[in-house]
Amino acid sequence: MQVAVSFQDIIFKLQQFWAEQGCAVLQPYDTEVGAGTSHYATTLKALDNNYWAAAFVQPCRRPSDGRYGDNPNRTQYYYQFQVIIKPAPQNPQELYLDSLKAVGFDMAAHDIRFVEDDWENPSLGAAGLGWEVWCDGMEITQYTYFQQVGGINCAIVPVEITYGLERIATFMQGVESHFDINWNGKEGEQKLTYGDVLLRFEKEFSCYNFDVASVDILLEHFSDYEEECRRLLAHNLVMPAYEQCVKANHCFNLLDARGVVSVTERAGYIARIRALAKSCCQAWMESL
Amino acid sequence: MQQELLIELYSEEIPARLQKKALQDAVATFSKIIDSYNVSHGEVKSFISPMRLTLLVEDLEGQTKASVERKTGPSISAGKQAVEGFLRSNNKTANDLIEIDGYYHIDIEMKIFETRTLIGDMIEDFIAKMPWQKSMRWYLEDQKALSAFWVRPIRSILCMYDGTSPGVYLKSVGIRTCSHTYGHRFIAPAAIEVSDFEDYKTRLEDAHVMLDYDKKKNYIDMEMTKNAAGIGLCVGYDEGLLDEVAGLVEYPFIHIGVINEEFMKLPPEVLSTSMKIHQKYFTLTYPDSVIAPFYGVVTNIPGTDVMYDGLNRVLRARLSDAAFFYKEDLDVTLEAFAPRLSNVVFHEKLGSMSQKIDRMMSIADTKEEHRAIALCKADLLTQMVGEFPELQGTIGGIYAKIQDESPELCVAIMEHYKPANATDTIPCTPLGARISFIDKIDSLVGLLGIGIKPTGSKDPFALRRTAIGIVRLLCESNDSILDSETLSWYIDTLVTAYSDQGVPLNPHTVDTVKEFLIDRFKAFMIDGLEVDQDIVNAVVSGFGTPDLDYRTTLDKAQKVKHIVTLDGFGTVKMAYKRSVGVIGDCADDGSDTECWKSAQFKDKHMAGVHDAVLALGKDDSDFSDIVKASSAVLEACENVLINDPDHGVKMANISLFREFVNVVRDRICDLTYIANRAQGE
Repeated sequence: MQVAVSFQDIIFKLQQFWAEQGCAVLQPYDTEVGAGTSHYATTLKALDNNYWAAAFVQPCRRPSDGRYGDNPNRTQYYYQFQVIIKPAPQNPQELYLDSLKAVGFDMAAHDIRFVEDDWENPSLGAAGLGWEVWCDGMEITQYTYFQQVGGINCAIVPVEITYGLERIATFMQGVESHFDINWNGKEGEQKLTYGDVLLRFEKEFSCYNFDVASVDILLEHFSDYEEECRRLLAHNLVMPAYEQCVKANHCFNLLDARGVVSVTERAGYIARIRALAKSCCQAWMESL
Repeated sequence: MQQELLIELYSEEIPARLQKKALQDAVATFSKIIDSYNVSHGEVKSFISPMRLTLLVEDLEGQTKASVERKTGPSISAGKQAVEGFLRSNNKTANDLIEIDGYYHIDIEMKIFETRTLIGDMIEDFIAKMPWQKSMRWYLEDQKALSAFWVRPIRSILCMYDGTSPGVYLKSVGIRTCSHTYGHRFIAPAAIEVSDFEDYKTRLEDAHVMLDYDKKKNYIDMEMTKNAAGIGLCVGYDEGLLDEVAGLVEYPFIHIGVINEEFMKLPPEVLSTSMKIHQKYFTLTYPDSVIAPFYGVVTNIPGTDVMYDGLNRVLRARLSDAAFFYKEDLDVTLEAFAPRLSNVVFHEKLGSMSQKIDRMMSIADTKEEHRAIALCKADLLTQMVGEFPELQGTIGGIYAKIQDESPELCVAIMEHYKPANATDTIPCTPLGARISFIDKIDSLVGLLGIGIKPTGSKDPFALRRTAIGIVRLLCESNDSILDSETLSWYIDTLVTAYSDQGVPLNPHTVDTVKEFLIDRFKAFMIDGLEVDQDIVNAVVSGFGTPDLDYRTTLDKAQKVKHIVTLDGFGTVKMAYKRSVGVIGDCADDGSDTECWKSAQFKDKHMAGVHDAVLALGKDDSDFSDIVKASSAVLEACENVLINDPDHGVKMANISLFREFVNVVRDRICDLTYIANRAQGE
């Protein structure tokens, strides 16, 4: 049997492992993003020709995935552990497998497979080739060699490794629900679970995302962020502009969850966000 | 000296769905490359597993072939200086000059190369030319540059020629070829020194890599069947799933897992689709085909208890989702879903699915048809179809059954997408066939009507597949209502229905649709039924477009396909051709075309033709009467002046030949379209 590893232990061990590989261990981006890829430490830093290696936890917001805390495996807020290294080293798969060992996976007992899954993020104009990594049939990681970001071909190909922390934790702790994950590794009265930390958050945000968020205010915010992004780009302030783009993206996701975006409008919104992201990426490249 | 060449490109995991095609592409690509280097060789073989693509060339000659290249020089009339210059620059003398078509040429013996020195270039060419459907580049540390394109990063290249390693550096991937490979990533990861292919294969087998793709598939199929039989169960053969799981393991280990009893209340289609699509598990059944609470799975390393727990747990999570969708869906009736189809886009220019339903209704005749059309698309709004789009129709049928709709209606909903392609079965109920027919014609009319057309391999709206579906319903359905007349009427009605909805279609839509269908019909006969193109053209033109009768045309095509293989067909073809020539030479002057009937043919050859034509029956079962008449016709053509100076005789002759042509055309087809066939074909 697996030795139970707490949620925070998994994070500590991954941080420790990737720090030893030379990664700067960063903190999450302090604005709402849908994935670790949206952290400027991935998007913008992946783009230029400088060496870059970073690892960090990123809380992710996917408003449409909320289930009011009723679904054991699907939530509108969850954690990714993101590793980005540029250029990708010559043995990234071995490093990844070593990181699983470092977390406590018994590689002789589990069926680890790299199953084709080419990754694409249309609103960031980003695409890459890679796999989802399966452990005994469960996807625990997304592994990608970036080929394009912001519509620009990568001159130096980075590797991005994105661990689904909740999945790894449920797996290692042998629990069925995210909310049952042991967060702090204590038992008895001192035990804090994922549910203790996040269940109320999940319920209230599901209500906000689906039922209560003001559509008018969101629409206004979207236009404001879009306008501000362009204005900041005119001042050549790429990182602040990019942040506005990320915020616009989250606004769109909220509008989508509120069910007010029709199919045709959807394509329009995505195109607008992509245009912003692309402008930011281009400005980043030109400013180097 | 002929020797074996072994090359293995060891990479990160090659996607399973690309492996089967890669096997063929690799052989074709590398064979071409060796030929381009002018080296003779034996068979080229390829092998694939997730982490390697291997090439084996048998009997590869040690040197390039001796050959000459002919070089064109100055014109014969050119000055002496030019000729001398030409000779000097090629190191030749005047004796070597060859005169052809007014120009001097010389033959230059090509330099002979040692094959060993070309192997590096051959591998470089192979990397450049191997046609992966999707490929990528990665960063080469030593060159500070990006690699060539390959399906996934290449990490090592084994190359052995004549028992030794040429050890060449391949710049495009920054790798020097070596004499070792690696075994199974988790079971035997150490480097393995290799001497030749036999050695390579054996050592890999020992290191848990099954190199032969088909053998791996068969092994999985057999072991799975055996394990299932051990507990009294069967495994349905699923070629696609076998390909996928074989492509995901270097060595297959089989396990039978358990499905929690609580999920067995889910419809079997949902269970098996969820297991197959999400988990790549095989569905097991009892001998009476009822789905059993077990699944088959292929793993890449030997099973352990924690692994089995994990595999069961993932399935539980997946099926919990499915059970949740199922429960939520059943809270709403199909009728209640149906109005929401106004939010589902059929095509942005053609409106919503609910508008599609309205148009289909304009054709519906019976009460059953109305109800089937009203409900057939409702499942698009269910969560289950949202999760498994491939279950559209199936889910609708299942839910309809739970709602106590009539069995006929449930089956009709379930099968109204059929036939999904050229080989799928057509709906087995008349109601299902009719709904499918109307649905497909509506799609074709709308999409062609706004100018969408498939180009090359691109057919995003599956217009070709839709058209083949219509054609097959016309040809194969037992429902006699589905004929060309109905087709024509439906097309007209649907064009009107679009226009009533305010959707503008091109003015020539009706003809466009009919022509498109005929084109697909021809392609279906050629590709699907292996009827030769000339026969297809002959029978289709014989029936007159655009309102041809599909079923009769198809029967005719099958018949002609048979007739052209019969003895004597060459004679018939020749006689037909000459007769057509005779008729054409003598312009039709409007005289009595039936005059051969009353005419007296004094010439014995023409009398022979007359007798033979009179003997021609209407019956198709026998071909010998036509052959007989044809021989008589040919004999007459050789011996008689058809264009007789006597007008009456001439007219009788021509009228007789015309009758022969008419009978042959009716009973076979217009043979002018039919190419000659080799004897005995």
